[in-house]
Amino acid sequence: MPDAAQSTPRADLTRVKPYADQLGDGIMQLSFTLPVPYGIAGRRAAQELARKMGLQNPEVVHYHALTEGYTYFMMFGECTHSVDYTSLSDEGFDVEYMTEEEIESFASEHIGRPVVVVGASTGTDTHSVGIDAMLNLKGFHGHHGLEGYRAFKTYNLGSQVPNSVLVAKSIELGADAILVSQTVTQQNLHIANLTEMVEMVEAEGRRKRLILACGGARVSNELAKELGYDAGFSKGTYPNHVASFIVRELAARMTASRDGAATAA
Amino acid sequence: MGDDPASRASEGPPGPSSGGLHEPGRPPGERLAQLISPARRVALVGLAKNTGKTETLAAILAAHARAGLTVGVTSIGRDGEERDVIDPRIAKPRVRLQPGSLVASTGALLRASGVKHERLAKTAVRTPLGEVVIARLEQEGAVEVAGPSAAADVRAVSEAMAGLGARQVLIDGAIDRRAASAPGVAEGLVMATGAVLGEQLAAVVAATAEAVDLVRLPLFADGGEAPVPVPRSVALGAAAQEIAELLRAHRGAQAFALEGALSERFLEGVLEARRERAGRELALVAQDPTKVFLTRRGPRWYERQGLSLRVREPIELRAITVNPVAPQSHSFDSVRLRAEISAAVGDVPVVDVREA
Repeated sequence: MPDAAQSTPRADLTRVKPYADQLGDGIMQLSFTLPVPYGIAGRRAAQELARKMGLQNPEVVHYHALTEGYTYFMMFGECTHSVDYTSLSDEGFDVEYMTEEEIESFASEHIGRPVVVVGASTGTDTHSVGIDAMLNLKGFHGHHGLEGYRAFKTYNLGSQVPNSVLVAKSIELGADAILVSQTVTQQNLHIANLTEMVEMVEAEGRRKRLILACGGARVSNELAKELGYDAGFSKGTYPNHVASFIVRELAARMTASRDGAATAA
Repeated sequence: MGDDPASRASEGPPGPSSGGLHEPGRPPGERLAQLISPARRVALVGLAKNTGKTETLAAILAAHARAGLTVGVTSIGRDGEERDVIDPRIAKPRVRLQPGSLVASTGALLRASGVKHERLAKTAVRTPLGEVVIARLEQEGAVEVAGPSAAADVRAVSEAMAGLGARQVLIDGAIDRRAASAPGVAEGLVMATGAVLGEQLAAVVAATAEAVDLVRLPLFADGGEAPVPVPRSVALGAAAQEIAELLRAHRGAQAFALEGALSERFLEGVLEARRERAGRELALVAQDPTKVFLTRRGPRWYERQGLSLRVREPIELRAITVNPVAPQSHSFDSVRLRAEISAAVGDVPVVDVREA
């Protein structure tokens, strides 16, 4: 697409909405099944539902009977809402992910020594696939883990590691970052276990010196914030995402402590 | 403190002095505000999610608003979010602040609140939700509060808000994180408990009493021989052999001191290693209650085994608030729950902020 750049108008990022033919048209496609028989009344029901969802000019472009009493619909409609993308992107919600090569050169330029990362699946959690995928050389989906990076020195303590042991080991190894993998359930058990780790690091007076990250299928940034971690990684995370966060955060802290030392009151 | 709960019957309403259950005509928020009034920095900690910590905060804020007191608010986690982060079926109370209030939160969350505010300072504290800034609200409104998580940052941001005019800073804790209540961070603590802790009322009372025992661990009486310091690797690693060697090397010692975390594994290790010299009392001294980590058993159980847990710095527990309702589940009679908690914990006021 040679001329795309000059002919594409810029979107207003403070009022972002879906786009199909031209910017701002709000057109989106959606599909769903209703428990109604195939027919005109069903089609009207789908349109009515889309209208209630805030879509203007809802159009059924395709529908067919799935089984008796069930109909599948594909629709277009114009979304009337917009969101302010800038309010979500400019305050650190996003970590810009780097490739492995970029991480290596960023680390050697801004950190200049191996970054020590200690990881474990803690408490009663026996699942180690998450932490293995992030740390071990083998990695997953063709992305090898932090162990394979020159920038990192990694220690994978495995699964069912007590928090006190993880913290002790991290201090002993002079860790820069601790990675905890945990299967979060609605029961409070795993939550309590994740927070205990943070509290122990506080009790040891190391909170400002250690980067704490947690990962698991249901771990979001919001949950990570509540638990007191510096970052949370969920499904779809590759080792380079974790690595990007760690090197950037460590570099930022090193800069801050240098500046802090210079301007300390 | 120190009374055996078994010796105190839980039947019969306690007198007004043992918990002040009946103070007609006075909204519970005002009473709470008065209980915490001498402290410049007050931490609010919930014993679990949905114990009503944010409602407690809201009640205090409303009382301060009526009194015209400028407050600063920060949160170790997040507060005032619309939905529970773990169970999205649970709608959370919002944090409503008066114009002039100071708040520590991320720029994005402040903007998303739609409440007019003036940014006064950046803090250079980064959280998973963005950098924390300090702002002054220019109108009344509900704001999602997400301040620093690390205790040292919480202290620094609280002091910054005090410097900008906050007469009292309220530090909202998160889930069961206690670091915000450390004596180095806050001058007083309000603990929120509730029905969510157990399906039986007695279980809620017992869990609450245990948590209270933990934050009110007795002070170590200095004066005798100095406690033997426990090396960090022994305290955290809690290897049976190392603990046994330490105890053997200090046969006559009556107290051991831990600089950092005092973990349950270490306590269990000490009990195990001590079998040979059972009968002797031993004190384990931590810096403050937030450094003591107990999940399976409370301080009284260890006391009965001859291990007394002591601290060098106390936490001022000013009040306990109760939420008699467990969302999506059961509920208890508020008056009875408060009476039984009062009877079990002694002289800490117990308040239900929704009490009419």
